[in-house]
Amino acid sequence: MTDQKPILTGAEKALLAQLEQAGQSAGAHEFAIAGLPTRRVESYHYSDLRSLLTQVPLLAVAADVAPGTESPAPYLSDAVCLDMVNGRVSIPGNMPAGLVVKEISGSVLSERDDALVRLNRGLAGQAVHIQFEGDVGWTVLVSRHLSGDACHVVDGVDVIVAPGASGTLVEMFDSSDAAHLGNHATRVRLGEGARFTHVIIDLCARAVRHFHSLEYDLGTNASMRNLIVNSGASLSRVQMFGRFSGSRAHGDFTGLNLVDEGQHCDITFDLGHAVPDTTSRELFKSVARNRARAVFQGKIVVDPVAQKTDAKMMAQGLMLSEGAQILTKPELEIFADDVQCGHGCTCGELDSDTLFYLMSRGIPRAEAESMLIRAFLQELFDPLENDELVGRLEAIVANWLENGSASAGAGKAD
Amino acid sequence: MSTPILEIRDLHVQVEDKEILKGVDLVVPAGEVHAIMGRNGSGKSTLSNAITGRDGYEVTEGDILLEGKSILELEADERAAAGLFMAFQYPIEIPGVATMTFLKSAMNAQRKARGEDELTTPEFMKAVQGAAKDLSIDKDMLKRALNVGFSGGEKKRAEVLQMALLEPRMCILDETDSGLDIDALQVVSEGVNRLRAPNRSMLVITHYQRLLNHIVPDRVHVFSDGRIVESGDKELALELEAKGYAAYDPVAA
Ligand SMILES: Nc1ncnc2c1ncn2[C@@H]1O[C@H](COP(=O)(O)OP(=O)(O)OP(=O)(O)O)[C@@H](O)[C@H]1O
Ligand SMILES: [Mg+2]
Repeated sequence: MTDQKPILTGAEKALLAQLEQAGQSAGAHEFAIAGLPTRRVESYHYSDLRSLLTQVPLLAVAADVAPGTESPAPYLSDAVCLDMVNGRVSIPGNMPAGLVVKEISGSVLSERDDALVRLNRGLAGQAVHIQFEGDVGWTVLVSRHLSGDACHVVDGVDVIVAPGASGTLVEMFDSSDAAHLGNHATRVRLGEGARFTHVIIDLCARAVRHFHSLEYDLGTNASMRNLIVNSGASLSRVQMFGRFSGSRAHGDFTGLNLVDEGQHCDITFDLGHAVPDTTSRELFKSVARNRARAVFQGKIVVDPVAQKTDAKMMAQGLMLSEGAQILTKPELEIFADDVQCGHGCTCGELDSDTLFYLMSRGIPRAEAESMLIRAFLQELFDPLENDELVGRLEAIVANWLENGSASAGAGKAD
Repeated sequence: MSTPILEIRDLHVQVEDKEILKGVDLVVPAGEVHAIMGRNGSGKSTLSNAITGRDGYEVTEGDILLEGKSILELEADERAAAGLFMAFQYPIEIPGVATMTFLKSAMNAQRKARGEDELTTPEFMKAVQGAAKDLSIDKDMLKRALNVGFSGGEKKRAEVLQMALLEPRMCILDETDSGLDIDALQVVSEGVNRLRAPNRSMLVITHYQRLLNHIVPDRVHVFSDGRIVESGDKELALELEAKGYAAYDPVAA
């Protein structure tokens, strides 16, 4: 055993300095010892942040932000829109009945043994609190913009869906073309019988490193569906920590890594069925083209008391090029005996028989491939009830497909 | 004499390094319907896959000409645009691809490849509805994903529907009759017969003489061990029905 301090990387030193400057001496001390997670930390096995995160820009400060910048056409026409520019929230004056929105400070995340969560808790500035009341079913769009020169943004969204209430939250991330670092958080608490849909779309520039920690707590009879779409940023990790704390609750947790040359996108999922009689379905898909890496790690833990848990996790990968990598690690930890749990995993190329069928009808290879990729993703989008949102998601996929044929390196056999 | 629609010259085809077709010669003149019969595993589907350009069917010798031009260098989609169509022995189910989207993509892709204007939505709808009615295809079937959950017979009907809409010059029907009940056989045969035209030819692969009562062939060819070993008129099919294939089996060495 050695107790020598690890040599901190440049990125680690910068983060340490930011923690110290924020007055987080305990957190800084801890970080100085542990540093960023490496592959030896189980939940970061495929995403060794110490080697992947090479540089950390200065923390964004509120003064950096030019207030009231141009607002583009609404991304979703019937949504209540909130903008957060470099972590600074601007809240429109008149909120409709049934929706409470206010600015809060500090991190929205609960304490947990995770480096990104600790950094968010140590460095968070502002956050926005959104409370859905009643069953109008408002859609709220929170757009996080990382603007200007590269900066480190640490922010959060705190959501409460009141008992019996329903709502949809769409979180969009975009950025200027600079090497920003985002450490974002979202915490969602669902009251008894609450219904919630949550869509998270990362469309940041490739220079960006994007981290997002999500926390879900589902009360009795609550139900929710989420969808994570990772398509921007050179390095991204979206991690979800879910917990069923009331019986008869149901969650559909879904996600997509849509990755191309040079990207490393990671979705990591950790769900605890902590009470009896809850159900969950997980469906995670990855499409990887050129030298890209998509990671999915999913862990479902069923506590000893959580009898009658019904959980099924599926991970499916589609590799469009030889250099593409899809890394998947599903785990079930079951401590109750009367449960129905399972997981499955498939990974492969587009089916050649299917491709031939389409081509034999005159559809060119690239178009046939696009049709099959869209078909592969449809079951992620179809259950969302907002047609406009589904249209937006389909447009993201179409755009991705158009920026180069999916057939790189897959010419005719001879 | 006019150029035949399909001409196959001394075709040798390997699949996974195994020679399956061992010198096929076949000429299908314009407007004619030819039938191919032969034992299971004799290479009939291999022939239709090789003609339509499936990956993995390697032509080691010979040539395939469509209206006088070699198509060996063309990809499957280019062959389709050139006028080739195969009704699959086993049509593929494609979840997530709507039948109508698929039909429209296929029709427009071929038109585009030929430098023709794309169909407008009303034109397309009209064409599909007309063809579906002719083949007694239920509208609800067209609302589903391509071939997904179709019965065996429905899949075969859907193949003929595609054939009618794509208006190919050369149709290959690989056991389109298998899996059809008696009424469906009637409907599908009528559908195929409606497509018979002076500038369109057909190659009908079947195990049953019964189909040939409905779709009467100009020529019948017997396939054995990767070759055509006998050709004749429609009476040959009756003869085969009575006597079987034993007379055509390769002589054991
Ligand atoms: N992908 C393949 N790999 C290896 N052998 C193959 C492959 N495809 C076909 N074959 C072989 O080629 C031969 C001819 O097969 P084919 O499917 O052409 O026969 P067929 O005449 O259509 O038979 P059926 O009447 O049963 O449809 C068979 O021996 C078959 O096993
Ligand atoms: Mg066959």
